[in-house]
Amino acid sequence: MPGSNGKLREISRRTALGALGAGIVGATVASWPRLTGMDIPGRGDNSLSIAILGTAADAAARQRVIDAFAKVHPEIKVKVQAIQAADWKDFFTKILTMVAAGTPPDVVYVATEGAQLFAEKLAHPLDEYLRRDAADMKEYFADVHPSLVEAFMYKGSLFQLPIDWNAANMYYNTSALQQAGLERPADNWTQVDFRNNLAAMRKARPQDFTPYYWTNRLFGGVVPWLYANDTSFLKESKSTGGEWLWDSFYAQDPSRGLRSGGYQWLEPNADDPRVYESFDYLRGLVKDGLGVRPEEGGGNSLVGLFASNRIGMTPAGGYWVEGLHEAGMKEDDFDVQFFPRWRTQRHQFGTAGYAIMKTAKDKDAAWEWLKFASSLEAMRLVFPTPNTTPARRSMVNEQLYAGRGPKHWKVFYDTLDKFPTTGPIPAPPQQAAVETALMKNVSLAVSGDENQLKQALASMQRDLEIALRRQA
Amino acid sequence: MSTATTGMSTKRRNGAGSKRRNGGGTGSESFGRQRQRWLPWAFLAPTILGMGLFTLVPIVASVVLAFFRWDIISAPSFVGFDNFAEVVQDPTVRVSFLNTIMFVVVAVALQLGLALALAIMVQEKLPAWLRVFFRSAFFFPLILSAASVSIFMRYLFNEQFGVVNWLLSFVGIPAVPWLTTPAGSAAVVILVYVWQNFGFSFLLFIGGLASIPTETYEAASIDGATGWRKHLHVTLPLLSPTTLVASVMAIINALQVFDQPYVLTRGGPGDSTRTAVMVIFESAFQRLEFGQASAIGVILTLIIMAITAAQFRLSKRFVFYQ
Repeated sequence: MPGSNGKLREISRRTALGALGAGIVGATVASWPRLTGMDIPGRGDNSLSIAILGTAADAAARQRVIDAFAKVHPEIKVKVQAIQAADWKDFFTKILTMVAAGTPPDVVYVATEGAQLFAEKLAHPLDEYLRRDAADMKEYFADVHPSLVEAFMYKGSLFQLPIDWNAANMYYNTSALQQAGLERPADNWTQVDFRNNLAAMRKARPQDFTPYYWTNRLFGGVVPWLYANDTSFLKESKSTGGEWLWDSFYAQDPSRGLRSGGYQWLEPNADDPRVYESFDYLRGLVKDGLGVRPEEGGGNSLVGLFASNRIGMTPAGGYWVEGLHEAGMKEDDFDVQFFPRWRTQRHQFGTAGYAIMKTAKDKDAAWEWLKFASSLEAMRLVFPTPNTTPARRSMVNEQLYAGRGPKHWKVFYDTLDKFPTTGPIPAPPQQAAVETALMKNVSLAVSGDENQLKQALASMQRDLEIALRRQA
Repeated sequence: MSTATTGMSTKRRNGAGSKRRNGGGTGSESFGRQRQRWLPWAFLAPTILGMGLFTLVPIVASVVLAFFRWDIISAPSFVGFDNFAEVVQDPTVRVSFLNTIMFVVVAVALQLGLALALAIMVQEKLPAWLRVFFRSAFFFPLILSAASVSIFMRYLFNEQFGVVNWLLSFVGIPAVPWLTTPAGSAAVVILVYVWQNFGFSFLLFIGGLASIPTETYEAASIDGATGWRKHLHVTLPLLSPTTLVASVMAIINALQVFDQPYVLTRGGPGDSTRTAVMVIFESAFQRLEFGQASAIGVILTLIIMAITAAQFRLSKRFVFYQ
């Protein structure tokens, strides 16, 4: 409304502008702590900043561990920063941007996918601390399978302590199996048995049902089939060194002779005839309507589809149990079995644990966090439900899966014991480029005729050569 | 009262002006002159500062970075034109640029064609209240997050369980592998992109159509022009300035397409939907080759500039200003 006189109107405008300015200044002053970035963990104080993949809720879930840690180490302040990301690759990208921005965290929760990237460029080896605190750490290593530890060895040094892990086992829908007149597969079932089971399920349910659903990812995609066929898309070798660790903590372990200074993936292997054979097998499943053409990066809808009885089988790890339970599946509605045998029954697994960054302000404090986080007390607080498989064997027990299933939960840890050559996700320091080179050719390889498969594998070989030539 | 105020203000302004013209002035007048000199700069300063800091500096830094090898972690090392040479030889980069050009040709043609057709329909055939509704409805997808839309579309186009294939099954069409074949993926990426972006071009065309005088159409009718002939000989020529703006903006946007292919297909299968900006992202943030990423960025920028310059140059022949 116009003012009743000019002066009043002018004053009103000025007053409005003044109020706006005062408001901006007020808001700036009021929000000053945020604007200065004091809420970024570790910035501006001596707190140990820890980055994890997850949501704010995941960070909050760690609070009980932080509180427990504070009782043991009141002198070390800890801040957990949850970083939301679509997958581990995305998470590492965000950590790298934090490094570029000059605000790297002190400790990062890193999965196998990024273990060698961090070991090569960003992380500090744990060797000195493990030697110093060997007596304290004996109990931890006695409870953790050496295969998981070896996944975090790089050029003879250990960079992380495994906290959780998952192997690519085979989940199946019990009612789909029953409808097809099938029984639980044997422990040593083969790829032929697997295909026959899928065919039976397809026959029993020709519509609105997929016998085998798989996704195009580094974990649980084509790699478990390659491992089962005693091959991989990268040539796998092992580096020397690391005896100090194996002799200190695993001298009596039956698989001691298999252990090394860490995995190496230095050359592409997509031109191996067994790789062709594995892809051709999967191509056959797709062609005959037994398996889907895998989408890149898919998997978000998988729990829902499986829980609604529209999928017969799919590869996944122990991390799936809680999701299926929350999606309404009863403990007898699904079960898990080892991945089928081909030339071997070697499984693929991924593990994760904390890594200390080279740039950490206080590495000793960071080590105390790692040590505490790997303790039984801390891990019980972090994993009250089976939303992953704890690295400690003693925690993978009936109590963890009670009321949730699966009936054969022992399959999870038995995978490591029964198949000691079970290996980690192939992830050299150039993991991002390698993963892209693999994933971009998988769909083409399994979706067309033999010629298209040959072309896709040739393209994969070329892309992998380029990827491995790149600097990590 | 308001008239008096206006008069008073005018007098005050005129008074100040006459004193300035007379070259006289007291200290306060001199301060007033000074204030008039720096006041525009004061108002412009935040924008200039912002542009400098957040636009000019990154552009220059990006160009400089294109001549260095840098992985964030180690110190950058000067490599001359090596990054450009490697980028040009990289088959993935070449394919991604080719994909981008193909995408621009198809997506922009669809976007502009659809927007123009709908704009003419809405403007001509619909009552005023429905026009308002459709303007908002067609613009609505643009305000949605491209990533969210793409995630949603990914579900819709799932081969086994997607709604699109479910609907197609009613007319006897078997499940289409939308996201797992090169042709299907490209089609979905283009479809989703056009669906989300045509609303902006539509609004531009609505504005352009509204500015065409009705007398022109009346004159054309008297001359015997009807239906599509009227649009061909009146609407299109008179809408050409708007078409130029719409096409320049659409092409620049389409050349930078990222969200839809990244979320829908991750560039696959193979490299079939990998775009130039995706390769920039992958080089920088997944492979830590910031120099190469910058080199690709520089090349893309030059392409965008060249296409835009060509459009403006061609516009002299095809754009008619009233």
